[in-house]
Amino acid sequence: MKYIIMMYGSQQDYDVLVGKPTDKPAMSPEDIAAMHAYMAKFNNELEESGELVDARGLSAPVHARRVQLKAGAPVVTDGPYPETQEVLAGYTIVECESYDRATELASRLINPDAEGEYVDVRPVLDSHEDL
Amino acid sequence: MSADRIEDLLRRLAPQVLGAVVRRYGHFDLAEDAVQEALLAATTHWPRDGEPDNPKAWLIKAASRRLTDLLRSEQARQRREDAVAQWTLPEQPPAQQYDDTLVLLLMCCHPSLSPASQIALTLRAVGGLTTAEIARAFLVPEATMTRRITRAKKSIKDSRMPFGMPPEAERAERLAAVLHVLYLIFTEGYAATAGPLLQRAELTAEAIRLTRMVHVLLPDDAEVTGLLALMLLTDARRPARTGADGSLIPMAEQDRTLWNAGAIAEGLALVADALPRSVTGPYQLQAAIAAVHDEAPSANATDWPQIAALYELLLQLSDNPMVSLNHAVAVAMTDGPQAGLDRLVELEKDERIGDDHRLHAVRAHLLEMAGDRAAARESYELAARRATSIPVQRYLNGRANRLDVR
Repeated sequence: MKYIIMMYGSQQDYDVLVGKPTDKPAMSPEDIAAMHAYMAKFNNELEESGELVDARGLSAPVHARRVQLKAGAPVVTDGPYPETQEVLAGYTIVECESYDRATELASRLINPDAEGEYVDVRPVLDSHEDL
Repeated sequence: MSADRIEDLLRRLAPQVLGAVVRRYGHFDLAEDAVQEALLAATTHWPRDGEPDNPKAWLIKAASRRLTDLLRSEQARQRREDAVAQWTLPEQPPAQQYDDTLVLLLMCCHPSLSPASQIALTLRAVGGLTTAEIARAFLVPEATMTRRITRAKKSIKDSRMPFGMPPEAERAERLAAVLHVLYLIFTEGYAATAGPLLQRAELTAEAIRLTRMVHVLLPDDAEVTGLLALMLLTDARRPARTGADGSLIPMAEQDRTLWNAGAIAEGLALVADALPRSVTGPYQLQAAIAAVHDEAPSANATDWPQIAALYELLLQLSDNPMVSLNHAVAVAMTDGPQAGLDRLVELEKDERIGDDHRLHAVRAHLLEMAGDRAAARESYELAARRATSIPVQRYLNGRANRLDVR
């Protein structure tokens, strides 16, 4: 069974990453290097155990486009999110034996220094018949 | 790494970086600003820290970061103003196979923009020149040039034209607009229409550089080849075109040993390559005319009948009074001054050129050839009054003064 682990962030969290001070303090280059090292190690382990399907980060929320139909024509809205809205920032898809294993993996993707941070885990369906 | 080498590299990479950023994130107008800032950052960082392993990737990364910042401010402003940036997807999806530099050129030379805007935007977005450099080249205040570029970008943004090649049916026309803009940049540099300097070599060099780039992208397009040849064959005469004091020296009196033999050889090869290939277009014909001039050992030894014949072909393609004027000169050189003067009578009725200094100057030359000194002098003086470039005025007044009739 596949599971998607979703990580969230607001535009402000992205600023913290690129070293820009906001309400939260900017991350130092050492913090960022440590974070990258941690993520690389995590992904390597999953790759070795054969559980990693895909892991990606998304670009800053300002680059988002929202597409809607208006009178049948596709209309695009640039930058649909407010600055502080938490939106999908990255995901890791794993294939593992149980939901509990996926949840355990997810717990390791939470930054222990960020009070209140969370990730969401959801089973991925193989086809619409599984609904 | 020398500053010149960095500058060359940056100017070459500029359109590729802009293309990559616009492709990935959209927002042509802000992306263009972001790329300019990335180029500027490179000119300060690279000499100090060394050129990065992958300069293009460095620039794309720097520009993308800057674009994120610019987008944030724009979106914050829109939210304050309660305005939403919404646009409708174009019905025709852009073609997939294309070169970014060519797409950028077509965009910057879009027919909805004025020629002045097309030129300015092309020099900035494709040429990688700063607004200050463009303003200096065109002798306008930087603020004027900033407004011109901002307006042009806004109009591209508002039109929501997709970043991609125009539909097949429009391509020939759109490419013709690009060539016209490159031609205008060249002529502005070669025959400055105003100001104390007769020519501004930076603009001609930039026009040649950009046309070369298009020629590499479209090697089989005979008109692109023709335009590049025309520029090289014309620019080859530049060293002989002005005297030490900056005065204008007409082709008949130029020291032909000063002509740039390398540029002439390259231009001739391009003409030979383009002429047999397709229907002959106006740039190829003008290049062929320039080639006849450049091959002649002296003004008198020029093959004037051939030049007259080429101008006749050119006249069939376009109703351009400058072409008619040049044709009249070639006819005069072939059949004598009176034959040329007869043709001017018709042209004088054309309001596009009837009172242009160039027509008066040609009349003056032909009258001088015919031996009518008084009338020639009068025409030289009239031409000098109509001319806007100071070296041209000085040249014409000088000719007039030589013809003291008493």
